Amino acid sequence: MTRDWWKHLILILGAIIVIAPFYTMVSYSLKSPGEIDRGEGGFFGRQEIMVDEQCVKLRDPNRDEVEAAALRFPGQSQNAIREALLEEARAECSSRPVVFNYTQAFTQAPLLRYLLNGVIVTVSIFLIQIVVALPAAYALAKLRFWGREAVFGLVLFCLLIPVHAIALPLYIMLAKLGFTNTYAALVIPWTISVFGIFLMRQFFMTVPDDLIDAARMDGMSEFAIVWRVMLPTAIPALLAFAIFSVVAHWNDYFWPRIVVTGNRDLFTPPLGLREFKGGGDGNMFGPMMASATVIVLPLIVAFLLAQRRFIEGITLSGMK
Amino acid sequence: MADAAAHPPARALRARESRQRRTAWALAAPALALMVLILLVPVGVAGALSFTDYSLGNPGFDWVGTENYEKLFTRSTYARMFTATFTYVLTVVPLSVALGLGAALLINSLTHLRELYKTIYFLPVMATLIAMAIAWEFMLHPSIGVINQTLAKGCGTWLEALWPWLAGHCAEGMPLWLGDKRYAIWVIAFVGVWQGFGFNMVLYLAGLTSVHRELYHAAEMDGAKSAWERFRLVTWPALGPTTVFVVTISCIRAFQVFDTIEAFYPIGAGPGKTAYVMMYAIYEKGIEQNLIGIGAAITMLFLVFVMMITVVQRWLVERKVHY
Repeated sequence: MTRDWWKHLILILGAIIVIAPFYTMVSYSLKSPGEIDRGEGGFFGRQEIMVDEQCVKLRDPNRDEVEAAALRFPGQSQNAIREALLEEARAECSSRPVVFNYTQAFTQAPLLRYLLNGVIVTVSIFLIQIVVALPAAYALAKLRFWGREAVFGLVLFCLLIPVHAIALPLYIMLAKLGFTNTYAALVIPWTISVFGIFLMRQFFMTVPDDLIDAARMDGMSEFAIVWRVMLPTAIPALLAFAIFSVVAHWNDYFWPRIVVTGNRDLFTPPLGLREFKGGGDGNMFGPMMASATVIVLPLIVAFLLAQRRFIEGITLSGMK
Repeated sequence: MADAAAHPPARALRARESRQRRTAWALAAPALALMVLILLVPVGVAGALSFTDYSLGNPGFDWVGTENYEKLFTRSTYARMFTATFTYVLTVVPLSVALGLGAALLINSLTHLRELYKTIYFLPVMATLIAMAIAWEFMLHPSIGVINQTLAKGCGTWLEALWPWLAGHCAEGMPLWLGDKRYAIWVIAFVGVWQGFGFNMVLYLAGLTSVHRELYHAAEMDGAKSAWERFRLVTWPALGPTTVFVVTISCIRAFQVFDTIEAFYPIGAGPGKTAYVMMYAIYEKGIEQNLIGIGAAITMLFLVFVMMITVVQRWLVERKVHY
């Protein structure tokens, strides 16, 4: 360890730069606007009770409310009641910065809805990718048919086309079909994973033919073989592919940005975050970073829990 | 009779084969159809539209020949687009590959804490880029950002004498980073490197496990004493295939940069359009301004670049990459 000290020094410096934005993000999500502005408070901030002025302003009592409250404050002047009500409002509008930031994150924008959309979109994409790719991969790996080489050649060619690059024609086609601003538009371009077909084919090539012949002897149809014999053998590869697919589409910003315009009900988490950024004033830095933390957290936690699988999954494309 | 006895198996075989052929096509059909509809047709559509002046919502369009492509190569906006794209790609690719390799070599030579460093360096690969871009934006904030606050602490100390750049900025005010024409694209490239090098590191670590130990012994026998000699003679050639792959995938990813730029600059792609990369141009022209002809032309050019990179890669792989 001692003679490696300079290596550790370099790696630690690198690690500090790598972690810095994560640190900033989480730290800002904990601090009050004042602390963010002045750059004080260390990582956690002082967590002093703060008053949300906007919330107080919204609850500024009008004449009716003052009169209605007269019963609770008998024998006091209008102004005194007004003051008392304001004081109550202030008390109810104060909270610790961390509570303020995270409640704002969920109430200023329908963050839960965005997260749900993220789950719906990523899960549908993955399931459809599997339903489409698995049978094709099986046919390419294990069945002999005229045209197989041509189909596989096409798969290899399509590997060259990044879907983001052809976003414009895809967008025009979907717009012509009237699909913009639907879940379908978010999912359709990703239903075909050429990479998934390629990967699964390579995996199926290693499955012994005897296994399939035995299943055929038992009278299973080819279709049943795909789902009842091949699928179970492919679980490790599928898991890696699932991670690859989910991470890519949870984080994807470009495609949702193109096909979802304005309809908040369809926003995926990255779109929601961008909207937050567009509308936020200086006071909203904390809540914005709170939403960012909420969006980034699920994948990071999953990654920390299953690092080896994640690294395998994300670098799948490196296994070619 | 003897004939009949010999034939049924053959006929059954042929029947089985034709049945298998039909099932195979049935199994591959959905994938095939989607491949054509979602990947090939759009390429054709983009190719056709790049020769028109089509706009979404217009009833018709006119063929304009190569006008769109001529614009790409004559107008100054697109000159800026190429400058921004190539500056970004040519900065991010070498740096993220070199840092990935460096980190992998360092980590591989350690006995302790390997997993910890690996985990940390891989974090940015997992994180939602747009969220991290916003965090970087805060750090780069000219007044409240931690970067300028840290730099400001160096003002008035011996650091100023050592580092003229810092002295200059201490005198005339701290850099605006993302708001400054001179720095914008480099800052964006820096975030690109930050995000991507962990991915390359993991690929290199995988590549390093396949380098045979005996090769190092053999090299030492042959007089390769220094670590650098061993690297040059054994490690680097053995990592050839990994390097080809890492460079290719880094290039393709770098060409597709968009999230950071849109996060930093909701409109206009940076001061003086210095960050006007191709994906942003496709988005701005094709989607926002509905100038689909020109957007399609950029798309075609983009595809040509990506295909060229992959063709070079496959050619190198076929040569087995032995330097």
